Amino acid sequence: MDAKDILGLPKTPLSVPPEKKSQPKKDSQRKPDGISREVYALTGGLAPLMPSIDSSYLKKRPPSDEKITWQWLPFTNSARKDTLQLYHWVRVVNGVPPTGDYSFAKYNKSIEVTKYTDEEYAQHLTDPSWTKQETDQLFDLCEQFDLRFVIIADRFPSSRTMEELKDRYYSVYFLSPVCRSILLARASSPADVSGHPLVKENYNASQEKERKRALSMVLSQTKQQEKKDAEVLAEAKKIAESRMAAKGVEESVMPATENEFPETTIDHNTLVSLSNVRLAPVAAPPSTLVIADTSSTLASLRMLPVYLRTYALEQMVQQASSSAGLRTIKRVEQTLQDLGINLKPRVPTKAVCAEHLELRKEILTLLNLQKQLQYKEAEGSSLREGTTYSEMPGTPKRQVRDHDRTFIPDAMSFGGERGGRKDPKRKGPGRVSETPSSPANKRPRKMKASDL
Amino acid sequence: MYGGDEVSAIVLDLGSHTCKAGYAGEDAPKAVFPSVVGAIDQMEVDDNTNGEKNSSIDSKAGVKDSERKGKRKLYVGSQSLGFRRDNMEVLSPIKDGVVMDWDIVDSIWDHAFRECLLVDPKEHPMLLAEPSSNSQQQRERTVELMFEKYNVPALFLAKNAVLTSFASGRATALVVDSGGGSTTIAPVHDGYVIQKAVASCPIGGEFLTDCLLKSLESKGVVIKPRYSFKRKETRPGDFQAVDVDFPNTTESYRLYSQRVIASDIKECVCRAPDTPYDEASYSNIPMTPYELPDGQTIEIGADRFKIPDILFNPSLAQTIPGIESFAEVGPNVRGLPQMVIDSINRCDVDIRKELFSSVLLAGGTASMQQLKERLEKDLLEESPQTARVKVLASGNSTERRFSVWIGGSILASLGSFQQMWFSKSEYEEHGASYVQRKCP
Repeated sequence: MDAKDILGLPKTPLSVPPEKKSQPKKDSQRKPDGISREVYALTGGLAPLMPSIDSSYLKKRPPSDEKITWQWLPFTNSARKDTLQLYHWVRVVNGVPPTGDYSFAKYNKSIEVTKYTDEEYAQHLTDPSWTKQETDQLFDLCEQFDLRFVIIADRFPSSRTMEELKDRYYSVYFLSPVCRSILLARASSPADVSGHPLVKENYNASQEKERKRALSMVLSQTKQQEKKDAEVLAEAKKIAESRMAAKGVEESVMPATENEFPETTIDHNTLVSLSNVRLAPVAAPPSTLVIADTSSTLASLRMLPVYLRTYALEQMVQQASSSAGLRTIKRVEQTLQDLGINLKPRVPTKAVCAEHLELRKEILTLLNLQKQLQYKEAEGSSLREGTTYSEMPGTPKRQVRDHDRTFIPDAMSFGGERGGRKDPKRKGPGRVSETPSSPANKRPRKMKASDL
Repeated sequence: MYGGDEVSAIVLDLGSHTCKAGYAGEDAPKAVFPSVVGAIDQMEVDDNTNGEKNSSIDSKAGVKDSERKGKRKLYVGSQSLGFRRDNMEVLSPIKDGVVMDWDIVDSIWDHAFRECLLVDPKEHPMLLAEPSSNSQQQRERTVELMFEKYNVPALFLAKNAVLTSFASGRATALVVDSGGGSTTIAPVHDGYVIQKAVASCPIGGEFLTDCLLKSLESKGVVIKPRYSFKRKETRPGDFQAVDVDFPNTTESYRLYSQRVIASDIKECVCRAPDTPYDEASYSNIPMTPYELPDGQTIEIGADRFKIPDILFNPSLAQTIPGIESFAEVGPNVRGLPQMVIDSINRCDVDIRKELFSSVLLAGGTASMQQLKERLEKDLLEESPQTARVKVLASGNSTERRFSVWIGGSILASLGSFQQMWFSKSEYEEHGASYVQRKCP
């Protein structure tokens, strides 16, 4: 309030009630929580960047009556066996230093390694391969390193393997009456004793040795060996899979063959006027079989006692076009129709079916190559557009050359047409440009087929 | 810090290249200075001889040394070493990882306590870092010196590898410490070093610096030590170096000053190559310029990659003229990845996988660029597939250099460590050999 007087600002009426009433018609700057409005206005009407007094401090610690100082005092540590006194900072309350042991002394835990006396050793624990001295050393190290056998094996003076050390330790532990009596005394019932890990799974040195040997072999394989192993495994997997597939075909086809018998008998009668009679062969097997291998198709067909040639043809066609997408298949069929050939041969004799299949395969190859050519030309044109105009359009042709030599004479002879057709192609490999070029390209293709 | 309790211990790490000292609980050592000393031989005047009173010059001329005590004045610290003095020899106390000259060690410690840290050793427990394969005799000698001369209240000797793995928060790791004098590979399991698997190789930062020096000399570049020239301003802003001759400078001092410059070049310019180095592929590499203190600018090309690759392929060093003495050590020394794998294979089978997945890099030379990536790549090639190899190094290069010291700082300020000190009363009761028991 007096600050406002000093500053000469107009006094605000009744500072206390506005806080309680929370008048919203006051200016929007009025957002103070816990500080009075005048103080708020002192800061210029803006919220302070940092809280001057954190409200949590005000709530938490009422000033206590104790006097707290920090002193640099010596301390003793019960975990130590000697009387070393080191110094540290201590929170002293009212001049009374804290009593009690060093706070970290409780973390001094160690594993209890029961010791044997000499008579016990002489009575129960002698072993031909172990001298008393070595056994003593072993137990000493066990105590020092808290049964970390890796380190114990490392520091043991004579070179004994870790399995031997462990074996000796556990057998002593088991055999010595001291240990056993302690074990029995601690257990409340015989069931507990048998549940104790040492009793349940006694240490088996030979098993450990075997396990470690196997593990070390796995870990020390060189990269070549691993590659070979991987290859062999992959091949084995492939063989197993194909066997499974063949078996699967056999099983699924078995019930199907029974259906086919009545159909084939009917078919024999109508064989003469076959043409468009589509005896729907059992559709289930073809659709489920995704066999990429021709031999397996043949194998599956051979499994059937009797089958239709059209069915076989469909199988072959499906297998041949399995690598192509639906669109490509449609295009093949379109091409066939353009050529004036039925999608299914009218007279499905052996020679006809074989030729039909050949034709389909060749059309597929043609379409694939055309697609590749398109991509390459698109690449070439995009590259060309990136470079200057002076670069001759010879580059894309050169790319094509690697793929199919027959296209070059084509380009030369249809030079004019090609030039005209390049522009639509430059805009993008679209379907529009495809149809004019395909009949042009088909003629040299046919020549090639006959050359073969 | 909930597990911490500061007792104002002092952590002291005497490495082969630098000595680091500071208070425990801090995150970097306060005193870092080279661990070599300058020594000027002085003759102690002996009353029995016929009064040849020599002052600080050469003492070899026809003197019966059975009755004279050779005394040296030692200059420790980067400031004293930086000043050139007549006939000052540069000596290192450590040779092949073993302390040879205890007087020098004493003087270094003295310098650290009284001049750098300004503490009285009587009041502070000491944590000393020692090499991972230190002999019992060395340890006892260290303990004796500390307790008898400096009267410390308590002492602990910790192995370098253990401290490094504590600095990264792990109890089990494979520590690759490539410092100034040597490269040591030590597996740590549960806080203890597996001593039978420790491997060491004399190729360290100083060896690489020597290789670089010889390589540059063979190309005709003369590195002038800083004391040997003065820069005169011929025109305003334009300096020219004028040679100043000091005939009494010892060879070792000249070499030391040249090495300082060469190691700076190495730190700035050298990078570990991604693939093993061969002359043909790196012959056309673009050169990097570097300006020497005397103003001349040199171009460094293939050496940038050749020198660090010596760590991976030690036989490369033989192609550098002037390093023929290496040939005698040559055949036994293998490259770094091979040593790592050998070391792991000497450990117990069960822990190998864990060691592969926590390979720690420490030491001054480990802060070379791309070293971690190259080591990881090489290890992946040579290690079995089932093991997942992971090389870790703290991103900060200061942390890599001082990781041993930092580990010591962490250890000495832990509350539960305070029971492990080797105190003076225990020393008096059991003798120096008790250190084997107390500091495993």
